[in-house]
Amino acid sequence: MVTNIVKRILQTVLILIGVALLIFLMLRIIPGNAILTMMGDKTNPEAVERMTAELGLDKPFYVQFWMYIKGVFTGDLGTSYSLNRSVSELISTSFPNTVKLAIAAALVAWIVGIICGIIAAVKKNGIIDHLFMGVSLLGVSVPVFMVAMVLQYLLAYKLQWFPISSGNAGWVGYILPAIALGWNSAGSIARLTRSTLLEVLQEDYIDTARAKGYRQLYVIIRHALRNAVLPVITMMAVQLSSLLSGAVICETVFSINGIGRLAVAAIEARDIPLLQGTVLFSTVIVILGNLLADCLYSVLDPRIRKEV
Amino acid sequence: MKKIIALILAVVMVLGLAACGGKKDGSDVEAGLLRVAASYDISTMDVAQTTDNYMIPMNIFDRLFEVEVQADGSTEIVGSLALDYDTSSDGLTYTFVLREGVVFSNGSALTASDVQYTFERLLTAGGVNDDVPLEVAGAEALKNGEADTLAGFTVIDDHNFSITLAAPNAGFIAELTGPAMSIVDKETMAEVDNFGLECEDTIGTGPYVVTEWVVNDHYTLEYNTKYWGEEPSVKKVIVSIIPDPSTQNLMYQNGELDILDLESIDSAIVANTYKTKYADKLVSGSRVGMTYFALNANNEYLSDVNVRKAVQMAIDVDYIITSVYAGDAVAQAGIIPDGVWGDNADLARPTYDPEGAKALLTEAGYAEGEVQFELVLDTSSSSNTQLVYQIVEQQLKAAGINVTIRSLDESSWLDLRKSGEMDSFIANWTMDYNDPANIMFTFFGNAEKTGIRSLNYANEEVMARVAAASGITDDAERMAEYQELEKIIVVDDAAWVPLFGNVHLFALGERVASFVPYWAGYSNFYAKDVTLK
Amino acid sequence: MEKKIKNTVEDGHGFRSVCYRLWKENKVAVFCALLIVIFALAAICAPLLTPYGYDEIVTDTYRLSQPSLAHPLGTDEVGRDVFTRLLYGARISLMVGIVPTIISMIVGALLGIIAGFVGGKADAVIMRLADIMLAFPSMLLAMVIMYTLGDGIINIFLALALVNWASVARIVRAETLKLKETEYVEAARSIGVSKWKIMMRHILPNCIPSLIVLFTLNIPSAILSESALGFLGLGIEKPMASWGLMVNTGRQYLYTNPWLSLAPSAAIMLVVLAFNFLGDGLRDVLDPHLKNQ
Repeated sequence: MVTNIVKRILQTVLILIGVALLIFLMLRIIPGNAILTMMGDKTNPEAVERMTAELGLDKPFYVQFWMYIKGVFTGDLGTSYSLNRSVSELISTSFPNTVKLAIAAALVAWIVGIICGIIAAVKKNGIIDHLFMGVSLLGVSVPVFMVAMVLQYLLAYKLQWFPISSGNAGWVGYILPAIALGWNSAGSIARLTRSTLLEVLQEDYIDTARAKGYRQLYVIIRHALRNAVLPVITMMAVQLSSLLSGAVICETVFSINGIGRLAVAAIEARDIPLLQGTVLFSTVIVILGNLLADCLYSVLDPRIRKEV
Repeated sequence: MKKIIALILAVVMVLGLAACGGKKDGSDVEAGLLRVAASYDISTMDVAQTTDNYMIPMNIFDRLFEVEVQADGSTEIVGSLALDYDTSSDGLTYTFVLREGVVFSNGSALTASDVQYTFERLLTAGGVNDDVPLEVAGAEALKNGEADTLAGFTVIDDHNFSITLAAPNAGFIAELTGPAMSIVDKETMAEVDNFGLECEDTIGTGPYVVTEWVVNDHYTLEYNTKYWGEEPSVKKVIVSIIPDPSTQNLMYQNGELDILDLESIDSAIVANTYKTKYADKLVSGSRVGMTYFALNANNEYLSDVNVRKAVQMAIDVDYIITSVYAGDAVAQAGIIPDGVWGDNADLARPTYDPEGAKALLTEAGYAEGEVQFELVLDTSSSSNTQLVYQIVEQQLKAAGINVTIRSLDESSWLDLRKSGEMDSFIANWTMDYNDPANIMFTFFGNAEKTGIRSLNYANEEVMARVAAASGITDDAERMAEYQELEKIIVVDDAAWVPLFGNVHLFALGERVASFVPYWAGYSNFYAKDVTLK
Repeated sequence: MEKKIKNTVEDGHGFRSVCYRLWKENKVAVFCALLIVIFALAAICAPLLTPYGYDEIVTDTYRLSQPSLAHPLGTDEVGRDVFTRLLYGARISLMVGIVPTIISMIVGALLGIIAGFVGGKADAVIMRLADIMLAFPSMLLAMVIMYTLGDGIINIFLALALVNWASVARIVRAETLKLKETEYVEAARSIGVSKWKIMMRHILPNCIPSLIVLFTLNIPSAILSESALGFLGLGIEKPMASWGLMVNTGRQYLYTNPWLSLAPSAAIMLVVLAFNFLGDGLRDVLDPHLKNQ
């Protein structure tokens, strides 16, 4: 198991370097002069020159890359042009908000997804099953922005149960964005829970438990769910990536100062260091999340444990 | 199973109840708090480094003079940190008397050397806002490093100083009201490292101090108890960064904002919702400036004055105003916008006459549809502007002028415009201070200036006169000169197609009793001009 | 249980046979396929179905208008007919769903087969590259690509193809690894058939069922990605119509002119739902073992 994990970690480092290189390359082939855009209409040539030098844009390509890689490993992601702050500082203020949102959304997704999945599995091929699975496919198919938009309109604007903007509203502000963001994942988690549960329910030990006279729900929670939860954990890691993607939209609609909105602001201001930093950081989070899930998986799953 | 469903329902209901808090009339909001939204965060609070967002500088600093909006909407320049001034007979030297007893929010006293420091800092800090101090004698030398001090600036004593200009400029006092001329404290500046970035380092004499700035989220201004003027009604301002206009719109309607700048809201909503449902909540200020249509005289066809005249005649600006701006704009006739000193009320817009335009082109020897050029669009511009482009395209086509819209991203657009090779474009200029020089000189001051705006105006003589006009010390004479030049450029040379100036609307929330929008072209305002209920 | 592998696609995977089985097992999927065809026809025949152009300003007086006989979904903030833009938007959305998915399919399948069949260094390089691409949150990656390339439909194709090829490569590689061990591939090898021929003749055809399923499932995700980009204001050049962009601009008018944003939202949802149902149905018929992936 340990060698497996070490191997996985080495692989991860390789991927990290690849990701950093790719982001750097993608952002250097940009049309137009970023500094001119940034400084707007009233630039003077000296200021442009000074900024160019400050950002190292006058240096040869490889020097720029070296500076950047060195920065990445020392936690220095450069300075945002549009906000005049170090990118790491900006990320450290906005990332906790994204984490809050993602956790809240994951909670929504899991609670709703697993409950619906169990119900559907128990009532296999019944009306409820078909209904839930249809709805879950709907959940996967509805664009995040549509859910966000409709929730904001109905619950915040019409009914005024929630604030329109989540920024200064404390935890209450996170309820709507969490539902909007969790919605999609809830659909896929429900489907996955149902199918794994159905598989597990066919196993012998479940029959044994049933034969012992335990109640259906008890059997499911005590025995079946435990074994069905593994694929769902793997899914968590996969979902991390889509949660971060969806967060871009939710943070924009509900005005949450998270990393997704920071990335959108970076694009609007054509702020390369900020965009580079936010994308790199989010990607690293996803990679680490995947690594963690893999490790967790090999610790949790007795079959994998034995194999190694 | 039923239990689980009941539990879920219970949780949902509790959450729902817990969330029922905010009241639409804002009766649960802290007294004295003003809540506003901004579409994007500022990059710095230091005006030496930005020409963009002045909300914080305007409120935490003072200038020597301020523009005061009168009850009838006209403006007057009044003393702020400067009580009074005298001008020498040659118009070169200004002697100022500084208000006494003014302290910065950290307790340091305001003296003439702070003003001197402010001027010198604008020139030496490598910033972007050095236009005004550059007019002072010896400014070039200081900027280039050939001198250590600003020769034209003389400190007489703590509260008296004089400034000598390199050339007479009748607009000088007006220029001192611009946010860039915010006075900073010399002693504080020597001590702090992060002026403009850290709240505690950014110290001014204004009615507010900035107490919190969470980048890209919100910033907070609070009343400066050491402020020399009258205590304002608003004690605290929270500016939230809300990039999404629909969110801003819904927030205002749900009572989460006290003042909404309707400029970020699409004009169709302004017309359908705000002008009906919130009509009594609107206040307007004119957005002093204008949207213009720039034609490049280096273009094959546009170099012909007849073609330019035909373009002027082909545009129905009233249609644009009603259809795009729902009437919230005023057609402009010349270069100097309405509301600016020197505006010529007698100047008439070129008449809308598409048939006449066609005839003019035929007369000038062009075949039908022969005249063609590009109208270049910056894709980051607002939906209103994009709509104006489309309407202008259709109107020009109707007059037999074959334009095509070319879309470019913002930086490529700027690059092309500054290279002087953009065929034509529509853009907006807002006034920084109340003097015609601000627009006349910027666009027609010299060959370089007209080049970077892709106008390439060819009349050297007129440009020389524009540059010289700011030196005329007699106001009436200067105004007459500007108006004559304006007429030559717009009517005779048809080098400028004036379109319209916008009316700037704000919607006030239930908690606001009154609000006087600031005079200038930008959206920022003085929180002390707001009275809460 | 080892899946029984057939040598050619036609056996049991023929178009008719698939349709028949789909009809028998999953009628919803067939209706969805029909719905997609209707959308596609509407998109293609857009100029016949509406008298207006997608960027034509059709209102005289004021721009926004409620649904009427002349404009069944009203007009938008620029005074253009929303129904017309919805039809033309279908072109963009369907193209954006299909073209980049085809590109990513071709690229992904080729690289996946090479990685799986050739193995060694080629495998390592391709799969690490795929890992790198898969590590990005897809939305952010697409945003960066759009930022770099600028708006434009070709650029969206590229961005989405770049985002999607890696997952295809991964699945095809897994499939190839399985196929590589089968007797007939072994047999082909032993009689000296060239590697390229084996890949193209024996392995690729057997991947096609999974590819078809992947194709129908990747289309909706591409459509969703484009609409999300459009929602953020990135993507195609204005004044072209894309559903995401329509929602983005229409959202401001949600409470006065709800059709502006709800109609394109609903269109996105319907098309995505239809593709997802169809994909599900096809998977059950063509490739049951993919179900849990």
